[in-house]
Order: sequence, then C-alpha cells, then structure tokens
Amino acid sequence: MKSRYQNRIELLQGTLDLLILQTLQWGAQHGYGISQAIRARSGEALQVDTGSLYPALHRLERQKWIAAAWKVSENKQRVRVYRLTAAGKRQLLSERSRWEQLSEAIAGILNPARENQA
Amino acid sequence: MRFPFWRRSRQEDLGEEIESHLRMAAREREERGETSRAAEQSARREFGNASVVREVTRDQWGRRGLETLFQDLRYAFRMLSKSPGFTTVAVLTLALGIGANTAIFSIVNAVLLHPLPFKDPSRLVLLHEGIPKMGYPKMDFSVPDLAVFTRAQQSFTAIAAFHNEHVDLSGQGEPERVIAARVSASLFSMLGAQPMMGRTFTQEEDAPGHALAMLSYSLWQRRFGGAQNILGQTIAVDRQPYTIIGVMPRNFVFPLPSDEANGQSAELWIPMAFTPVEFQDWGGSYFYGAIGRLKSGLTLSQARFESKLSARRIIDSYPAAIGNFARKGELTVIVAPLQQDLVGSVRPLLLILMASVGFVLVIACANIATLLLSRAASRHEEIAVRTALGATRLRLLRQFLTESLVLSLAGGGLGLLLASWARDLMLQLVPPSILLPHQVPLSRTVLAFAFGVSIFSALLFGLVPAFQISSFSVQSSLREGGGAAKTSRRRFRLQRIFVTAEFSLALVLLVASGLLIRSFAKLLATNPGFRPDHVLTVNVPLPSPVYSHAAQVENFYQQVLAKVSNLPGVQSAGISNDLPLRGYEMVSISPEALASGRTSTPQAICQTWVMGNYLQTMGIPLLQGRWLTPEDRFGSQQVALVSLSAARNFWPGQDPIGKRVRWGVNGPWETVVGVVGNVNQQGLDAPLVPQVYRPYLQLNGGFLEQDPFADMHAMNIAVRTANDSAALASAVVAQVHSLDPQLAVGNIKTMTQVLASSVAAAQFNTVLLGIFAGLALFLAAIGVYGVLAYSVAQQTHEIGIRMALGAQQRDVFRLILEQGARLIFLGVAIGLLAAFGLTRLMASLLYGVSPTDPVTFAGVAVVLVAVALLACYIPARRAMRVDPMVALRYE
Repeated sequence: MKSRYQNRIELLQGTLDLLILQTLQWGAQHGYGISQAIRARSGEALQVDTGSLYPALHRLERQKWIAAAWKVSENKQRVRVYRLTAAGKRQLLSERSRWEQLSEAIAGILNPARENQA
Repeated sequence: MRFPFWRRSRQEDLGEEIESHLRMAAREREERGETSRAAEQSARREFGNASVVREVTRDQWGRRGLETLFQDLRYAFRMLSKSPGFTTVAVLTLALGIGANTAIFSIVNAVLLHPLPFKDPSRLVLLHEGIPKMGYPKMDFSVPDLAVFTRAQQSFTAIAAFHNEHVDLSGQGEPERVIAARVSASLFSMLGAQPMMGRTFTQEEDAPGHALAMLSYSLWQRRFGGAQNILGQTIAVDRQPYTIIGVMPRNFVFPLPSDEANGQSAELWIPMAFTPVEFQDWGGSYFYGAIGRLKSGLTLSQARFESKLSARRIIDSYPAAIGNFARKGELTVIVAPLQQDLVGSVRPLLLILMASVGFVLVIACANIATLLLSRAASRHEEIAVRTALGATRLRLLRQFLTESLVLSLAGGGLGLLLASWARDLMLQLVPPSILLPHQVPLSRTVLAFAFGVSIFSALLFGLVPAFQISSFSVQSSLREGGGAAKTSRRRFRLQRIFVTAEFSLALVLLVASGLLIRSFAKLLATNPGFRPDHVLTVNVPLPSPVYSHAAQVENFYQQVLAKVSNLPGVQSAGISNDLPLRGYEMVSISPEALASGRTSTPQAICQTWVMGNYLQTMGIPLLQGRWLTPEDRFGSQQVALVSLSAARNFWPGQDPIGKRVRWGVNGPWETVVGVVGNVNQQGLDAPLVPQVYRPYLQLNGGFLEQDPFADMHAMNIAVRTANDSAALASAVVAQVHSLDPQLAVGNIKTMTQVLASSVAAAQFNTVLLGIFAGLALFLAAIGVYGVLAYSVAQQTHEIGIRMALGAQQRDVFRLILEQGARLIFLGVAIGLLAAFGLTRLMASLLYGVSPTDPVTFAGVAVVLVAVALLACYIPARRAMRVDPMVALRYE
C-alpha cells in the first residue's frame, strides 16, 4: 500500500478538470467509471482521490460544461451519469491547448537542465 | 429554487451517488475474487472519508444567499446548543439589554418622536403672555389682551383660545366631575380635526347664549353607551342643559393633558363664548391658553419678532391706570412650537434614560464579546479542520457572525417579551409630568427598532471576536494541539480592553444613578413646611350656575365646615382654595413701603384663600402675630397672613405686623396680622415663593360670583384626624352629600399621598436609572469575573510552575487579584473622567446636588471597586488552590 501511495502523482491544480472532460469525450460515464478510466489510462499512475473527483464533477456541472442524469446501469443500479455538453467540448479544446503549451514550456525548461546535470 | 427542501433532495442525490460508487467498486473487487465483506471494506477504505467528500462536494454547489444562510444557521444552532451555558447567559444578557432599550424607546417614540395627531403639527405654536419685569416670565392670555393681539398680529392664519374647566355632569346616571374645554370655534379647523359624528360649532355660535357641546369618544361610550341618536340630546353641564351637536373621534385629544389637570384630558368641548364683561377684564385673569397656526412661508423667528411688535398694541390698549405697569413690566408675547412646549421638560429625562439603556446594551455586548473570545480557545481545532477542508476566512467570518446574529435575535425576541412586560410596569410608574399619549403601542417603529438593535448588537459583540478567531493561523493551532498559548495572549488583551470599557461605562451610569439617589434623598429630606401625616383633603366644587350668589357659596362652605369639624375623630378642619404642592395662584400685590407710605412696585406672590383652621390643620406654624379667626369676615378690617419669606422680602429687618399690602395697584389695603412658616406650594424642588393667606369670608361677593380664578367655587376641605385619615373619607363625603346630594366630590387624598405624588417624577427617574445602573454593575462584575476565570484557567500551568518553584498561595492570590485590579482601576479612572464630562447634561434633573458632587463620585467608585474585587476574589482563590502536581500535568 505504502509504496503504491508514494508512486501516485499529485495532480496539478486544474488538470483534474481536463482529465474528466477528456474522459467524458468518449461517452457518458458515472463517477466511479471516470475514476477507473483515468487510473487505467494513466497506467495506474494517476489515482483520482474521491475527495477531489466529486467536488470537481459538481463544479463542472455547475459551470454547465458537463450535465448529469440518473440512469439505470446494466446491473440494474441507479447511477448518476455525466456527459459532456457543447460548452464542455469547447472548454476541453481550450484546456487541451493550454495544457500542451504548458507541458512544452516545462519540457523546454527541464530538458536543458537535465543535459547540464548529465 | 433555493429552498432547504429542494436542497435536501439534492443532498440525498449526492448520498446515493456516493453509495452507487461504493457498490460498483465493491462489485468489481468481488468479481476479482475478494469476499463480499472484504470487497466492501476495501472499497470504503479506498474511497476515504465519505462525509468529508460529501461536505467538500456540497461546497461546490455555489451556496449563496438564502442557502448559505440556512446552512450557516443550522450550523450556528448546532454550535450554540453544544454549549447551553454560554448560550443561555448570552441570550439572557442580550434580552436584558435589548429589552431595556426597546421599553425606553417605545416611550421615547411615543413622547418625543411621534408627531402630534394634528394637521401639519410643526406649524402649530402655543402663545403666552409674559411680564418678565414683574415676576411673570410666562403666563396665559387675558381675554382683552388676546382680542387685541389677534387683531394686531400678522403671523398666524388663526388663533384659538382654550381653557379647561372642571364641571359636574349630571342628569343621566351618577353625577360626575369631568374636564370641559371651552374652546374657540376656529380651533377644530386649525387642528384639522373632524368630528366622527355631527358637527363642530360655528363662529356665530362662539358667543354667549349657545349652550352646545361636543362629546369625547370615551364620554359618549361611557355615559351614553355609544348611542347613535345622541345628536340633539341634552347633557347637564353644571346642571345647565347643553345640546349635543357632535362626537369627536377617539384619538382627538385637546388641550393636551397637563400636570395641572392631573394628566386627565377634556371630555367635552363647549364654545368659548367670551362675555362682554370678560372682554373688559384688563390686567387680570391671565388664564386662557392660546394656540396659533403659522402662516405658510413664515419662519418661527419672523413670527416671534412680529409678535413682539404686536404685543406693544396690547400695552397701548391698557387703561391708563395699569398701562404703565404693563409697559414697565415689559409685557410681551412668547411664541413656542406646540411640540417643544409639550415635551420640553421631559426631553432631558427621556434622553438620559435612553443613553443609560444604550450604555447597558454596550456593556452587555462587551460581556458577550469577551465570552466569545474565551470560547474561541475551545474552537481552535474546529477552525483548523474547517480551514484545512477549504473554508476561506470570509466563510469563517460569515459563520461566526451568523452565530452572533442567532444569539442576538434570540435575545432580541426575548427582550421584546421582556419589554412589553416591563413597559406596562413602567407606564404605571410614569408620573403625570411625563405627558404620555393615551396608548404607547408596541408599534412597527418599535419592533423595527428592536430588530435594528439586535442586528447592531450582533455586529458590536460579534465582529471583533469573529475577526480574531478567523485569523488564527491554521498551522500554529494544529501544532499547538489546541493549547494555543501565544495567540491567547493577544485575545486576552482584547478581553481586557472590553472589560475596562465595561467598567468605564458602568461607572458613568452608577454616578448618574448615585446623583439621582442623592438628590432624591435631599428632596425627601426637604421640609415641606407642613405636617403631612393624618391630614385628609377633599375637593368640593359647587357648580356656579346653581350656586350663583356669593352668600350661597359661603353658606355652603361654612355649613360643611361646621359639620365636618364635629365629626368624631376630627381634630381640626379648614377650607382653602389651594393645597400645598398642588396648584397655586400667583397674583401681584403691592406691599406698603414703611418710610414713605408710597406703594412700591407690585410683586408676584402666591395667594391662598382660607377659612376655618386651615393653617392649623396643615400644621403650618404661626411665627408671629395671630391666626385668622371667624371674625375676619366681610365688613371687618381686611387682614392677611404672610409667609416668613414674604415678610423678609417686603420688609427686611422690620416688624411686618401692621404693615399693609394690596392686590394689584388699586385694591383695598389689607393689614398683616401674622407671619407663618414657608410652605412649598409649587413642589419640593421648586424655589420658595412669598405667600399670602387671606380670609375667604373677606372675599368680595361680586368677585366670588364672577370667579375669575375659577376655583373660588371649588374649595378643598382639609381635616386633621386623630387616627387613620383615609378612613374618615366616606364620613366627610357623607357630610357634603347631606347638604347637597348631587355634588360630585373629587380628589380625595391624604397629604401623605400628595407628598408622595409630588416626588413621583423624581422617584421614577431614580428608580429607573437605579435599575439600569445596577444592571450595568452586575454585567461588569460578570465580565471581570469571566476574564479572570479564563485567565486563571489559561495560566494554570504557569501557576503550577511558580508554586513548584516555591511561590506561596498568597503570592498567587495577589498575582491574580492584581491582574483584575489593574483592569478595574483603569476602567474606574476612565469612567470618572467620562462621568465628569457627562453628568452636567443631567443638571436639570438634580436637586440640591452638584452634577460633579465629589461624595457621589467617590462613593460610587468605592462601590464599583468593591463589587469588582469581589468578582475577582473567586478566580483568585481558585488560582491559589491550584495543586502544582495536577497543574504541571495539565497539558
């Protein structure tokens, strides 16, 4: 448990929103499904804390980037399902480009530094 | 959209969402082969603290406005119910503070702030005459003067005269003594008053020969059962039939109730109808009230200036014989706004009461603020957790203020209950000199005031602690594990500031109250000049239309005096027109100057007509000469008794016996045959005025029939009894009725009662301010106790170390006491300075005591310090008893 915990990467402020929106791009999903999807796609590196996930979902819902509805799952369970709205799609695009700019910039800073150290 | 029930369903939504998450997680684990129990447990473990998740998720819902308020309120109620002790103390303290403020405000609102129920009341003025150089700074109008002035003036659209008269109502039902107001026809339209039934009388009917009456609502209800066919019926006023032409609405009150009428108001209105004789009564009978309405566009000062000019026309109109005195005496006309005239005398009293309840409230708030600060220590962890979970400082601030608001609104609600109860009690205590309107409703204004005061209090006591608490550094409090010794120092300083302020305010109130108590004691110790015990007085008015001849009136009073004197248990009896402390007649007399025999200028003097053994009955001592006797009657030498102060005034250093005085400048000479003691005719706190007593039986018959003083027909019987004087009242009244069964007697009172009611106003001030000061003292004592107790609790560890290092119990005791004493003495010093500056505002309420009376200041400071030290004693003793071993293990 402990080692796994340390391997987890703390999400940067705002990145969770991006990940949720990106996850929902492939289709409507409930909270648990979103968290599992992020974990699986990150190769178990990103584990979304429920204490961050649900506030984020509700925040995004309030900003009308995602919409929620109660559905009955294949296991005959009532689940709350989130889907991306049109505004959410636009938001996803802008956040993605911002993220790409940011990671490029950070990479630009980090790479020469690594060369120097090496 | 934003209602709690809706919110609840959304909360349930969230709960279900989390549950479904857990179920799905557990199911997946089960599918991987875990047992269902283990799967569920690990799913929950992985999920983390569900309630925290729920809480932080809820925070995303954008709770705003009402929703946040509801949530804050729920939380506030939870927090407050967790510490019922604190909540109870705080709510009760606030209830006292807000209740006292509301009660006093309801009176202030009714008396000072409420506009008079007349049309455009700010344009209404009362008019008075004054002859300042003759000792009459302000008096009512005489009939000819009013007529001249009304014609001459140019400032007023109308001027109306009014005069209260006590009349007998008879005919239907019991004979009854009520006030009838003689008023000019123009009065009703000037006041903008409409009758609820019938009509008012016309200008033409405002003349002799029109026996018309308008009833008050209460008289109509009481005497006629509210009969609809009342118009055109007759009512017997002083046994003369008057035709009823109208009924005034319930809220119409005029003339406004005065001291003189014992706070009663007129029950019927009859035409003023001045007679030709009254129009010729120059230089006498200044008895008629006058009210005017300012012309629009005219300022008060313009009207005053113009009225002074018009007053010269009055002087010019005087007959030559007395015109000179009017001119020398500088006769003038005084214009005063009706409202100011009405409340002028009670304004300082009410404002001081309002200020003192304000002080009480501030003290109460300071107390609660210190309690809140002390309580903050136990909330450190709560605050740290909430901050860690993302609560902003603003959010915390709002939460704490909501708690304060809940406290103060609860206190305000309870205070309102308290106020409505205390107000009834207070209204019974209110002396007639405070002219209250008929009802003092808990109006919307008063409710709004109570609400406003509650909100204000919440800010007052909540803001500083809220800022203080919400600024706790999260790290420091988590690290310190709740002990928070360093931050507490700073809070402790704030608490000390609050307590010092409390003491300063309490001291000011105590000084004010102490001054009133001392002045009240002085008042009670004043020698009234008569012996009030065992004296009964009864007013026996004779309706003048029936008793129209002087002989009838004199006969009646002589007979009734003889009958009453013979009653068993009566030691002596007498008759007089005025009684000590109750009403007085000022007249001008000219004392004879010794050397030249020339008359000196007329002097204002208090004149009383007496018969029988009135002075002996009252216990007024004869200092020189002889009493008046039954032989001093019409036809014999005109005699008079003067008071000691009159004798000293008129003939300093000379023997007054045999000196002469005369009424006005033309009256017949009267010889002084005796000197009697001074009596406080106007009230214990009023300056002594010279007095003259004259035999009723020497009253000129024509004068009596004309009765310009209106009370020669309404004499008072006074009897001195061997035993309980009140018990004799029915026997005295029976004697009156044996002569005329239809007479309505009134004002049956013992002189002890009269004395008591004459100090009622002072007593009212003293009692109320005393209560408020006591409250302030109590709250301040609780405040210093609370702070010290808290400080001792905080310092237990330190005290333990000191004791372990060898400090004696005595040293610890002194240490704590010194902490308290520093606050107390600082507070007292500031308070003394403040009181020194403020008490002069209450000079008009004091009698025989200077506003900076050193005895009061010193005495009050000692009392305050003593009580405060007592409050410090308990925590100090607790500190002294600290067991070092326990204390060192304390944290």
